[in-house]
Amino acid sequence: MSTITISNLRKSYGRIPAVDGFSLEIPGASVFGLLGPNGAGKTTTFKCMLGLARPASGEILYDGKPLAPAMFERIAYIPERSVLYDWMTVEEHVEMTRRAFRSFDPARAFELLATFNIDRRRRVRALSKGMRTAVMVALAFARNAEILVLDEPTGGLDPVNQRHVLSLMINEAAKGNSVIFSSHQIGQVERAAEHIAVMDRGQLILQGLVDDLKADRKIVEGIFPDITFTLDGIANDARVARADRTERVVRLLVTGGADEIAERLANAGAMGVRVLDLNLEDIFLYAVSPATSTADVVAKETSS
Amino acid sequence: MNYVEWLRVRNLLKIVVIILAILVVLAVVLRISFARYMSPEAWVAHAAMQHGTHETHLTLSDGTKRLILDNPSERTRIVVDDHGYAGRHIVITEPTSSSHSDTDHVNVGSIQVVESRHGTITTTVIDTNGAVPMLYYMLLADIVALIVATILAAPFAREADGHLEIALTKPISRIRFALGTIGADVVGIIAASIITVVAFYLCQLLFESARVDFSGINTRAIAMGIAAPLAWYAMLCAATTWLHRSYGAVLGFAWPVVILIAVLSIINPTNVVALFIHDVAWVLARIIPFSYVQFASPDSHNALIYQGGDFARRLSLEILLFVVYGALAIWKWQRLEA
Repeated sequence: MSTITISNLRKSYGRIPAVDGFSLEIPGASVFGLLGPNGAGKTTTFKCMLGLARPASGEILYDGKPLAPAMFERIAYIPERSVLYDWMTVEEHVEMTRRAFRSFDPARAFELLATFNIDRRRRVRALSKGMRTAVMVALAFARNAEILVLDEPTGGLDPVNQRHVLSLMINEAAKGNSVIFSSHQIGQVERAAEHIAVMDRGQLILQGLVDDLKADRKIVEGIFPDITFTLDGIANDARVARADRTERVVRLLVTGGADEIAERLANAGAMGVRVLDLNLEDIFLYAVSPATSTADVVAKETSS
Repeated sequence: MNYVEWLRVRNLLKIVVIILAILVVLAVVLRISFARYMSPEAWVAHAAMQHGTHETHLTLSDGTKRLILDNPSERTRIVVDDHGYAGRHIVITEPTSSSHSDTDHVNVGSIQVVESRHGTITTTVIDTNGAVPMLYYMLLADIVALIVATILAAPFAREADGHLEIALTKPISRIRFALGTIGADVVGIIAASIITVVAFYLCQLLFESARVDFSGINTRAIAMGIAAPLAWYAMLCAATTWLHRSYGAVLGFAWPVVILIAVLSIINPTNVVALFIHDVAWVLARIIPFSYVQFASPDSHNALIYQGGDFARRLSLEILLFVVYGALAIWKWQRLEA
C-alpha cells in the first residue's frame, strides 16, 4: 500500500504555468481519479511524479521517500499517447519489458493481449490507436506494480475494452495496489474511482471521496414567473457554493440544508422548486466551468 | 545492454550482412566467370600454348617447382617458380616498342606486380600470394563502420522523439541506460567492421589463399580503424542529443559539413577573408575525429598516419574525442524532459 504525497508542485513551460502550487495526498490501495479540462496540468503532474519533467519547486514522496530509479520496479505508467516503438513487434515490446522489470509476468501480458485480440507478431505501426493503447495497458497490468499511473488509459478503446480496463483497475486496487488515473470520460471515473481530485489551470480545486462529494452537494433549482425577481439574500447564504441565473431559472449549488434553501426559494416567489442530486459530471462541471459566480448573482440582485 | 538499441543495431547489422553477402556472391560469380582468364596462372597457360614455345619443368634444390617457357621467335621468356603455399614468383621478359626506361608498381590484394622497361626489353615480375596488408581491409571496414556509426548515432534523440516515457521509467539510472545504449552501438560498429573484414577476406579467399599482414603499420591501422568511427559516432551522438528535434538533419548534413570544413582547413588562403575562413575551419577541424586520420599507401613516406610516434598522439586524441563527446551526450541526456 503506497501513499503518494505531492506538496506545492510548480512547473512552467516557458512563462506558462502548467502546474501551480499543486498539493495532493493520494491514498494507497485505491483507485484515484484525476480530473480536469484540457490543459489543466494533469499530464504534467504525472510527468513530475515520474521524474519525466523537472518541477520548478515542490516535492513528491512515495511512502515518504523521493522518487529513485529503483522505485520504477514498483511503478507502472501508461502515457496519454502511444510511446511504443513503431518498428518493433508487440512481442518485442513484451521482451523489452521482461528484460527491464523483474516483476513483469510475460504470460499475463500475452493473456491480456489475447483478451484485447492483439496479434503479438504484428508491428506496432500496423496497430490502430486503440490497439496501441491496449498494448500499453497489457504491458502495465502485467507488471505486478504497486502503483499504476494511467494517463487516459482507455483512449481509443472500444466500450467493451474500456470496461475491461476499468475492471483491471478496480482489481488492482482490490489487491492493495494504488491506481491513479486521468480521464475525460467522467462516467468511467465515477464507475472506477473512490477518490477524485479536480485540477484547473494547474491548481487543485476540488478533492475527496466520490460518495462524499456527491452526498454533500445538491442542486436547488427554482423557476420564477418572470425575469425580474430577487433571491432575498439566498445567494449570500454560506451553504450556497454557487448560483447560476439564466432568464427565469436559478440553479443553486448547495453544500448543505438543501430543503431549507428550497423553501426559502419558494418563499421568494419561485413557482417550481426542485432539489436534485448531483452526479460526478455535475460536480466536475461546476468545479471547472467559468460560471456566473455567486458574487455576480448577488451583484445583479443588488443592482436590480 | 539496452534491448531496444540492440534491436536497432541487430536490424542494421542484418542489412550490412545482406549487402556484404551480395558482394561475396558477386565475387563468386566473378571467380567462376572470369577469374581463370585473369589469374597469372591463366596468363602463363595461355603463353604456353603459343606456337614455338618450349616448355621446361625443373625442381630446384629447395623444392621449388620451376616452369620455363621460352619462345625464341617471339623473344619472350617466362619463368614461374612455384613455392606452394608461399605463392608463385613469375618473371616475364618480352620485347617492347618503347625505348625509354621506367618502372611501375601495382599491388592488387596479395598480388604484387613490378614492370620494368629498359631499352627494348620489358621485365614483369609477379609475386602471388603475398600477405595482404590488414590496412586494406581496415580501410574497407572503416567505410562500412562510419556509415553504420552515422546511422546509429542518434540513440538519445530517437528516444526523445516520443519514447522517453518508456526509456525513463525503467528501474535503472539515466547514466546506466545511456551507457547501455552507447555500449550496444559500439558493439554494433565494431561488429560491422569485423563483418566487413570477414566478407572481404572471403572474397580474397575465392581467388587465392590469402594471408594477412598484421605487422607494424597494419596493427596500428586496426586501432585507428576502430577508434575513428567510434569518435565520429560519439560526436554525432552528442550533436543529436543537444539538437534532438532535428536529429535527422544533423545526421544528413554531418558528412557534407565535415568535408567542407576539412577542405576549407587545408586550402591556402589568398586574401584576408579566405584566411579568416581557413582559420575558423582549421579550429573546427580540431574537434572533428577525421582530422586525425589520413589515408595513404603503406609504402608512402608522406602520409599514412599510423606512423611513428605521431600515431600514439592521434589515437589518444580519437579516444579523448570519443570520451568527451560521449560524456556530453550523456550529460544532456540526463537533463532531457518528456
